[in-house]
Amino acid sequence: MNKIIHPIEPEELMAYLDGEVTADRATATAAHLGECAECQGVVADLRSVSQNLKTWKVEPPKSATPAIAPALAENRPASRNVFPAEWRSWREVLGQYWPTVAWAGTAAAIFLLVFGTVRFIGSNANNVFSQVGSQIENSGSSRDRITASLSPPSTAPVNGREFTQLLQLSPGVAQTKQPAAQQEQTTNGPLIIRTADLSLITKDFDKARANLEALVKRHRGYVGELKAGGSTGSERTLSATLRVPADQLDLTLTEIKTLGRVESESQSGQDVTSRYVDLQARLANARNTEQRLTDLLRNRTGKLSDVLEVEQELDRVRGEIERMEAERKNMSNQVSYATLNATITEDYKAQLQVVPPATSTRLSNAAVDGYRSMVDGVVDLALFLLSNGPSLLLWGAILFMPARLVWKKVRRSFAA
Amino acid sequence: MAPTLISDEALMLEFQGGSHPAFEQLFARYRGPLYGFFRRRLNGDQRAEDLTQETFVAVIRASAQYEPRALFRTYLYSIAMNLLAAERRKRAKDSPPGKDAPEPATREAPDSVLWIRHALEKLDESEREILMLREYEQLSYAEIAYFQSLPVNTVRSRLFRARIALKEHLEPERCNPEKVAASESKKNAGLPRVEGEAI
Repeated sequence: MNKIIHPIEPEELMAYLDGEVTADRATATAAHLGECAECQGVVADLRSVSQNLKTWKVEPPKSATPAIAPALAENRPASRNVFPAEWRSWREVLGQYWPTVAWAGTAAAIFLLVFGTVRFIGSNANNVFSQVGSQIENSGSSRDRITASLSPPSTAPVNGREFTQLLQLSPGVAQTKQPAAQQEQTTNGPLIIRTADLSLITKDFDKARANLEALVKRHRGYVGELKAGGSTGSERTLSATLRVPADQLDLTLTEIKTLGRVESESQSGQDVTSRYVDLQARLANARNTEQRLTDLLRNRTGKLSDVLEVEQELDRVRGEIERMEAERKNMSNQVSYATLNATITEDYKAQLQVVPPATSTRLSNAAVDGYRSMVDGVVDLALFLLSNGPSLLLWGAILFMPARLVWKKVRRSFAA
Repeated sequence: MAPTLISDEALMLEFQGGSHPAFEQLFARYRGPLYGFFRRRLNGDQRAEDLTQETFVAVIRASAQYEPRALFRTYLYSIAMNLLAAERRKRAKDSPPGKDAPEPATREAPDSVLWIRHALEKLDESEREILMLREYEQLSYAEIAYFQSLPVNTVRSRLFRARIALKEHLEPERCNPEKVAASESKKNAGLPRVEGEAI
């Protein structure tokens, strides 16, 4: 047997020809091929198969493509893309006719000057300016609205320099209105999540509840959760989780205290400045990674397995970004809006005894209980008979004759 | 200086943004190969053209949902394969049983083409598909593995088997058609021995 042992499998030779081996295996294969005539034969065979297959050529498609154009026409790009295209075309048109437009404009200006209509235009312009001026003056009073509209969208990219902007943005997550004063405070000071608990007892429950809701609205807060329990026959309790702007917390607390007698009160603050900064940094990093991976996926072509790997990594990074983004929003919301857990209990009713149920109810309850106990007794008897009946019968049968004899003897002795 | 070749994926993203020239480029790149894909697998050139167009229409309609998760080529051929499978199902349903073998067009085909096609028909269906995807569509092993739902190594070994079998089928037909049957038994004859095999 003088067969040669080959370091390269024939399959690998084929993969080498197809460009499907790694660089080091390709080098090894090429080296082996250079000296092995048998493997060269295999390669030649494989090549001849490919060449033979290539003789089956398909003529190019002949007809037009009637289905493509309508489909393309149907598939209009999104409106955001349409606008720039039209805009560019306007610019092109303007560029093309620029001298004409310029001449026409100059002529119109001269015409207006000559006929003394400048004054008319001037008065219009003044009107326009006065309108703008009034808007600027009004902006002081409606500062919150303007600030809200200037805030960047919640999906704005995050990096270190935008830290302060993001802090300003945070109130907008839950509530669009946000006074500039509060933004300043949030931006400059440490980030503290404030929580307060307040328990009250009030005599007029309905009024206290209405007042509570009104004062929350007045302080630009909102009711996160509200539970009211108890019926008119018993004491009523209201427990509410209120979210009020952090700077309004003290004022809100003072006002809520006027609604009744304070039973307990507590306040706490959690400093999350370092956590927030850390989160921002991690978010920025993750976004950079996502961008790099997207670029990689878009611009590089490679093996499907590599593409899938990049894809998986991208999915993971995106998931992380979403999670961190949610955490960041949540934290911002918690910082800018303090949480106030208020419990209001009705005072007057709480001191009353619980009214006993009506006589008819008690009678019907007793009847139901009696019926139930009767049914239970019957069922119990049936169960007892079923479970012990056979044994009783057996013992009865066994003991019947001796008992009868004893009985007869006793009767006889009595008779004697 | 040679013009930079824009990747298919970049073109598709451009088309997604509304660029029709980008689609035209993609169409020009893949119309011929796709037509060949259908033409070699189906009977009738008109149907092949229709299916080529249907593939592109599907790409256009689904363009809003396109994400560059994989190569555009993979995306395109997966649509084409779905259409081909649907077409084959339809034909199998319409035609009586027993005549469902894929029969590409034969008219005007030269002898050499017939010779290749006959040899291909003798292959196992899965091996034939793998071989055709590799030789005619020039897909990578990984892509074929994806389409066939097979491990890459299986694709590689089946491709190898298919090539060797095809070689055997081609050779006797060219020399002497009577020897075709005899060649079946010698499918793997003449292969070099692999390290680790018993001598």
